[in-house]
Amino acid sequence: MTTRLFYDLVALVIFALVIVLGVPALMGFDGFELNTFARYLALGIASLALALSWGGAGLLNLGQAATFGMGSYAMAMHLKLKASGDGLPDFMGWNNVPELPLIWVPFHSLGFTLLAGLLVPAFVGGLIAMFMFRARIAGVFVAIITLAFLVAFQLVVIEEQGITGGQNGLTGLAPLNVLGWSVDTYGVGFYYLVAGCLVTAITIGLYLTHSKFGLILRAIREDADRTRFLGYNVANYQTVIFCISAALAGWAGMLYTLVLEFASPTYMSVSFSLAIVIWCAVGGRDSVLAAAIGAILVNLLEGRLSDIFVEGWNLMLGVIFVFVVMFMPRGLNGLVGDAWRFIGGRLQKERTISTRPHLQPEPVKSGQEN
Amino acid sequence: MDVILNQMFAGLSMASILLMIALGLAIIYGAMGVINLAHGEFVMLGAYAAWALQTYAGFSIIVALPFVFVAVGAVGWIIERVIVQRLYHRPLDTILATWGIGIILQQVVRLSVGAESRFVKGPELLSGNIEIGGLVMSNYRIFVIVFSLAVLAASWALMTRTEFGMKLRAVIQNRQISECYGIEAKHIYSVTFAYGAGLAGIAGALITPLFSTIPTMGTGLVVDAFLVVIVGGLGSLLGAASAAVLIGEATALFSMLFNDTLGRIAVLAGIIVLIRFRPRGLFPSNTRR
Repeated sequence: MTTRLFYDLVALVIFALVIVLGVPALMGFDGFELNTFARYLALGIASLALALSWGGAGLLNLGQAATFGMGSYAMAMHLKLKASGDGLPDFMGWNNVPELPLIWVPFHSLGFTLLAGLLVPAFVGGLIAMFMFRARIAGVFVAIITLAFLVAFQLVVIEEQGITGGQNGLTGLAPLNVLGWSVDTYGVGFYYLVAGCLVTAITIGLYLTHSKFGLILRAIREDADRTRFLGYNVANYQTVIFCISAALAGWAGMLYTLVLEFASPTYMSVSFSLAIVIWCAVGGRDSVLAAAIGAILVNLLEGRLSDIFVEGWNLMLGVIFVFVVMFMPRGLNGLVGDAWRFIGGRLQKERTISTRPHLQPEPVKSGQEN
Repeated sequence: MDVILNQMFAGLSMASILLMIALGLAIIYGAMGVINLAHGEFVMLGAYAAWALQTYAGFSIIVALPFVFVAVGAVGWIIERVIVQRLYHRPLDTILATWGIGIILQQVVRLSVGAESRFVKGPELLSGNIEIGGLVMSNYRIFVIVFSLAVLAASWALMTRTEFGMKLRAVIQNRQISECYGIEAKHIYSVTFAYGAGLAGIAGALITPLFSTIPTMGTGLVVDAFLVVIVGGLGSLLGAASAAVLIGEATALFSMLFNDTLGRIAVLAGIIVLIRFRPRGLFPSNTRR
């Protein structure tokens, strides 16, 4: 086991303990507070999904909100059907839709919904990725294409009122019913469900980053051409990570719909998509765990501060973000890493001096240049 | 037939606005490779500057234009000096930093002026329409089209006929060698960024009678302007102009065939495909990087 993996696992265990045991206890098992926190955890999954493609492979996906939205709409369609019973969903009546559109029919089944919430985003993400990466599109152009896709996709969702509920989204949803357990979104059980999902997602992310697959992706990020010369099919690797990232975003979207009890086209807005990028950058794009923590921290701050500074909060968010991009390109993760190395370096230095006085200690560098 | 002509004029009018916004962006992106997502906010600042000048000083839009240009240019200059200058070696991060700057500018305006929509009167001189058969053209829109062409010509002259333009082109081609010849690349970049911001400000001032002036007006515009720049090709002014006309007319055409939203969707899809097959745009300039 490498040291890096060891640290990541320790951090994951600590993080899991904090959100599973620490947070509910701190909140006094209060349903409302736990629901709010579950929302942050769901957004954490969206942020870590971006960290996989952005930090891990250097593909800045500004359209992450589109795949997030697909997941959230999949879940919302299922719950809307449950809420409508045998009849049509109410908004379809307002839009003169005579019968249930074909695309809605399979969402009666929960199993299909869960699969669709993961596979539809993965499929769409895969299509876009194949389209881009086969042509060796890289860098800024990936960002622009995904951004244009996001704008177009949101327009489609708003336009197709009869199927998607248009600007209003899908509201008035039934509670989720899994094998007879009716999920109470203000209950402790639901919180543990979301927390469990987040820990699972982080574990998957850590597994991917530490696998050979993750190593090759990092090689592609550093120099795609050299990796190509070594015989790897760069486009395939990029496509796979794009799919996985999209599926995780869809998963986050499904949970988000459960927490908020509605789905809205604002989940697919440009500003929401860039908000995900902000969380990811603040936490640290290199590590899935850090990205998730970044999302939780920024949203926690937003929840607390936007009550106090109703108007000024967004201004503060902008300032924080510019500061992070300029001075902490590796986010909080980089800051913690530097502090760790600094302390470690001190200890190392003392040991070197005491045990081998004839050797000059190496100068300790605090942090890498970026 | 009249419908088509009117729609073509609407497309041309949209193209002229896109061109005004995209021109500043094209110069900034072409010169320094900075993806300036705060550009929409520069447009917004220009619109608010025009509103403030009209409300408090009684200036008509056309009189206000030079002031708006200088004011927004100054904001751009400060932002370049304080923030963007430190990020030239990290082009992807400029997307993020400028988005952050955009949030800040938007919130500052929201906090100081308010979130409600502001109204700016168009100039009296240019009210009314010209009618040729069934084709109805608003005088103000014609003025915007002519003005955008003038700005294009002025920018072209600045780039190719002045000493500053020569230095800028030298820096674009090879920054290190230009610095060896005594050109201060940093200074050139600052001025170029300020010029691009100033153009966005003018665009913002000019569109105030056509759009509603709200703090979030820039966010939608910047995506469109960006697509114009990418389609036109890196740093090519003529490319940006033809891309603006192409996108403006295509949007108008598709809007006529389907409806506004579907028209926009079709254009976005077309642009995605175009970037895929010609990532360097329709008219790439031959620069070494």
